Amino acid sequence: MRILEGLAAGIGAVALAACQPAGTPGETDGAAPPAGAGGFTVDVSYHSLDNGLRVVLSEDDTVPTATVAVYYGVGFRNEPRGRTGFAHLFEHLMFQGSRNLPHGAFDTLIYGAGGVNNGSTRYDFTNYYEVVPANALEAVLWAEADRMAFPDLDADQLDNQREVVRNEVFVNVINQPYGGWIWIDLPMAANENWHNAHNFYGDLTDLDAASLADAQAFFDRYYAPSNAVVVVAGDIDKGETLGWIEAYFGHIPAGDPLPEIDVSEPRQEAGKFAVMEDALANRPALAVAYHMPERGTPEYYAMILIDQLLLQGDDSRLTRAVVDEAGYASDVFGGINLLGNAFNYDGPMLWTAGLIHDSEFTVSEVMTAIDATIEGIRTEPVTQADLDRARTKLLSDFYGTVDTATRFGLVDLLAAFALFDDDPGRINRIAGGFAQVTPDLVLATAREYLRPANRTVLEVRLAGGGDAAAAPGGNGE
Amino acid sequence: MPHTLIRAALGAAALALALLPASAGAQVHERPEIGEPVAFALPDTRHFTLDNGLEVTFIPFGLAPTLDISLQVRAGNIDDGAQTWIADLTAAMMEEGAAGRSRAEISRAIAAMGGQIDISVGTHATGIGTNVLSEYGPEALQLIADVAMRPDLDPAGFERVRANLVRDVDVTRARPGAVATEAYRRLLFGGDHPYGNYLPAEDRLRGYTMADVTAFHGNHFGAGRSRLYIAGRFDAAAMETAVREAFGTWAQGTPDNAVTAPARAGPAVRFIDRPGAPQTTVRLGFPAAGIGDPDAPELTVMNALLGGSFTSRLTRNLREDKGYTYSPGSSLTWTLDGGFWTFNADVSAADTAAALRETFAEIERLQSEPPSHAEAEGIRSWLAGIFILQNASTGGLIGQLSRRDLFGLPQDYLDRYVPRILAVPDAAISDAARTYLPLDEMTLVLVGDLDLIREDVLALPQLAGAEVTGPEGE
Repeated sequence: MRILEGLAAGIGAVALAACQPAGTPGETDGAAPPAGAGGFTVDVSYHSLDNGLRVVLSEDDTVPTATVAVYYGVGFRNEPRGRTGFAHLFEHLMFQGSRNLPHGAFDTLIYGAGGVNNGSTRYDFTNYYEVVPANALEAVLWAEADRMAFPDLDADQLDNQREVVRNEVFVNVINQPYGGWIWIDLPMAANENWHNAHNFYGDLTDLDAASLADAQAFFDRYYAPSNAVVVVAGDIDKGETLGWIEAYFGHIPAGDPLPEIDVSEPRQEAGKFAVMEDALANRPALAVAYHMPERGTPEYYAMILIDQLLLQGDDSRLTRAVVDEAGYASDVFGGINLLGNAFNYDGPMLWTAGLIHDSEFTVSEVMTAIDATIEGIRTEPVTQADLDRARTKLLSDFYGTVDTATRFGLVDLLAAFALFDDDPGRINRIAGGFAQVTPDLVLATAREYLRPANRTVLEVRLAGGGDAAAAPGGNGE
Repeated sequence: MPHTLIRAALGAAALALALLPASAGAQVHERPEIGEPVAFALPDTRHFTLDNGLEVTFIPFGLAPTLDISLQVRAGNIDDGAQTWIADLTAAMMEEGAAGRSRAEISRAIAAMGGQIDISVGTHATGIGTNVLSEYGPEALQLIADVAMRPDLDPAGFERVRANLVRDVDVTRARPGAVATEAYRRLLFGGDHPYGNYLPAEDRLRGYTMADVTAFHGNHFGAGRSRLYIAGRFDAAAMETAVREAFGTWAQGTPDNAVTAPARAGPAVRFIDRPGAPQTTVRLGFPAAGIGDPDAPELTVMNALLGGSFTSRLTRNLREDKGYTYSPGSSLTWTLDGGFWTFNADVSAADTAAALRETFAEIERLQSEPPSHAEAEGIRSWLAGIFILQNASTGGLIGQLSRRDLFGLPQDYLDRYVPRILAVPDAAISDAARTYLPLDEMTLVLVGDLDLIREDVLALPQLAGAEVTGPEGE
């Protein structure tokens, strides 16, 4: 185990020190970081190959494993019209084999080495990642390069994975109560631009229509080194690792420039109200979503703190008001980017809050409690103590994200900052954005972005009109 | 709240890696060899016991300046008696306030340290824990002690808290997986033991009183039946002082009197109708030996090879070859002196009988033919490798150590785990499948559209002779 205290004191204590709470719990005076907290800096080394492949390396020998992540700059927003869900279906295809690792051999290589692997598709990226004992690192890099260069796109495998994905949609959405309301239906209702407003798990008819030709075209366009980032973190030798990456990935042709797509959302000027029925649910549900400030702006950092103040943790205002005081629900949940976090996206995004409530409470009642809480933060400046507590929660969350057994949280942030900002070192400067947020900025941000006109309300009703209490109560402003 | 028995979600498989021969132009580089296995040792821990019986374990570990505190009280659903989820209701009331401070005050105080109080009820233990910035360790520890030792149990919040649980149970019952698990547990353990009561009936839950909660806390919480784990970066001397101050006055409590129950053998099949369901939710299982049994390593490797990893035979067959399901899997669940093995999957309705046919065939194949050495070696290697990952975080280490302690395993259990896995002979994997997965004693639960699936499923020869029940009224 390596203790970073000494190392970080000189190099990067500034990075997160601004978030460190001071004084006794529950009190804040904004003073210097408390003694004994230690600093914490993520080791970051950034490189670019001649073919445009970006490489991020981060060394830490706490445990003798290495995590590899390959992020491609393609996600739901890029998929073609008439092919909803294609980015995700294609992710499945990328697991089906490559020239030197036929069907199943990639997984067998990783698991036989004592590791695990997976992948995921999100708004603005598709990722593939492995964590293995460090002795298998070179073989994993070779395997990822093999599938970047020579994936085995095969019609039989496409048909097989079409069925697997159909079953995935069944088990996660169609055969579940509350299956997709808050993370699929709500963005579809809140967004105007097709790129943000389509069903990104995919209409089943679109999945059926996907062809091998689609897959080849998608691969050729998006899965090129110039649109990818490779991150390696863990118990590694950075020089040796970079050498392997150059050897295995360096020969792959760069790829053409990506087509420009406009993913922007217009400013929302009127509140929206959407209703859906859920035949499998037995309690109604309700969610609200607001368009976020643009990523990276001062207001964006303020909104991340507002999320902490309103929604995250037992001390949050919505939890207090809706759960503890009113007793409408057991829990209020949500946040920024329900399929990731506040950092790993690159385009319009929503801040979302939702709950499942008893039928005896009307939508009007519940919305009144939500409105009162949100109006509170739009009219009264937050106290410094509340703001400091929100920063402390964020700092703790950050540690929880980057210091895990698999290091997946760490490599995800590094990849996102490399892919979207060309600046993975940003991971050590996140705190700076939060340090600049004042009570005045919180108030101004809440006034603009928590406007009722910037909001979409989604009401989930029970099937068959059995939910007599669900009549909209003028909340669709 | 998790209501799983402690799961050993270990498993893996590996078919022999069949590399294509390197033909000209087909590859730029030869596949690199995988190097010598890395050395891995668990971090050193420190253990001490307070006079009142509280067992304390310190685990220095990690990079970030945070620490995990986890108090594990031997008070779980196994102690519910006939009051299913009284442990959960008690835990929920403990979150309402302690030592005269309200939930709002406590939640603000712990949030200012970077954490929150998490109380979770499992089959065998209630965990009270938090994760905070390192400098707040002693203060956070005091809050944990207050919640465990001095909950206010104020009747004012009782109706709301109980209504929350009623709502949670109701929402849970809408999920096909929960419906299947509830029926599966009932078949395995019957209705007279808490292991067989996965969810409470709503009318029973509504009948629990504040007095029931107070009694449960009084009878099942105390230093003599609790273990405290602290993992992360912290000043050990300061924390030991804090532990003695915060917990030194805790009463020993009532002695542990949990009564375990063995899982029952089938054959038993239960159908539950979910009209219109596009998938059938499957639970298939058998009683197993316990985690401390000499057969546990063989069971663990067998599970990994058959269904417990992404490279397992059932995953390869049902998902990657047939496309019947997205997330098939198998697991071993340990009880106090036994356990059970479960295969679970959500399969497309039209393929239900075919998926069961393939599942039975894979079990029979493993029973009749030992796996190849390469396949068995791949699985053992996987289990050895992921042991590192299972112990590579503060939460993982606490989970591993607390499981060892809960089940009364030897202190060197974790040190011996990997060697014991690596020593499982290839043939013993098939032996375990024969001993523990006798298809004529299966327990099977299917939740789906019975008009679509029932007839084909009942035609499977492996189900001949099974007691078939459900849906109600038939």
